Amino acid sequence: MTVLVPAAATYLLRVVLITVVPAHRLPAALRRGLAHLAPAALAALVATALVGHGGPVALVVPGPTHLALAAAGLVAWRSRNPALPVLAAVAVAIVIEVLS
Amino acid sequence: MWPPAGRPHRRPMTTTLRHHSPGVADAARDLVPVVVGLTPFALLIGVTSVRSGVGAGTGVASAALLFGGSGQLTAITLLAGGAGTGAVLAAVTLVNARFLLYAAALEPHFRDQPRWFRWAAPHLVVDPTYAMVTRRTDLAGPGDPADPAAFRRYWLAAGGGLAVAWTGLTALGAVLAPVLPASSALDVAAPAMFLAMLVPVLRRARPARAGAAVAGVTAALASSLPDGLGLLCGIAAGVVAAAVADRTITDTAGSPS
Repeated sequence: MTVLVPAAATYLLRVVLITVVPAHRLPAALRRGLAHLAPAALAALVATALVGHGGPVALVVPGPTHLALAAAGLVAWRSRNPALPVLAAVAVAIVIEVLS
Repeated sequence: MWPPAGRPHRRPMTTTLRHHSPGVADAARDLVPVVVGLTPFALLIGVTSVRSGVGAGTGVASAALLFGGSGQLTAITLLAGGAGTGAVLAAVTLVNARFLLYAAALEPHFRDQPRWFRWAAPHLVVDPTYAMVTRRTDLAGPGDPADPAAFRRYWLAAGGGLAVAWTGLTALGAVLAPVLPASSALDVAAPAMFLAMLVPVLRRARPARAGAAVAGVTAALASSLPDGLGLLCGIAAGVVAAAVADRTITDTAGSPS
């Protein structure tokens, strides 16, 4: 069960600033930064997936993932339901895969 | 800044006087589309655990114990390649380091909770649960008199429900691995889910857009760094950019910060 060791480390990451050293004891500047965390983290996750193993150039060279995520972005702009953009992206990816 | 500035919650209230605390029903309503969106990602992890030779047991255990798709995929890929415990530990810790930040941001909700909740419930901190709580403006924050029990109910229903669904869907992916066609179409599911959570945040305020743009470009530029370090660089740069943009806007408006 090699997965137990990284699981224990991940649990520590989750619990340390909640229960061990509560985050309200952190410096005020750090706490203000946390309010801006959500958009930064989500955008970094999307960009990392978009680039994949292609290096930074892959961000601007259009590929199937770009098309699929563009569809997801359009749907997300029109609807607040977070499932629809995913279904749109997977549908576009399947269509591209079938056509190519 | 708490709760995050934004549009008032759209849900119609029965009376304007009664404070609305989200309950289990609200959590379920928020959770259903998230689970639908995450289904392809969970299936992919189950399929990958079987096809890579790591085994369905390890795949399903990683869903319950690691409970974070990108960290699980990292662990499974490395284990399949014959990596040692130390390498898996280092890579997964880096990939999941953002949970440290999510936990810090969520900490006010955990402050007045019972001890068992403060030790057990952080296990449910993960991208979708963090985003779900961030999107709800009606959950109690520090200095808010609303009862901690409302957050506890919401968190356990949304996070616990997600954990059960995520583990079950990973197992389903492992079962279906022999019959599912080899396709990379499922790979776009996870980033599409994150994009779906990002877009409503971008509509709120300019600092969020600045932070997202800088985070995305930095993460892409640093993407050749190993073990999710590029992701962390992107997040850090984005947070700094958003904080600077926020301060600039506040100064321009002439109001005290």
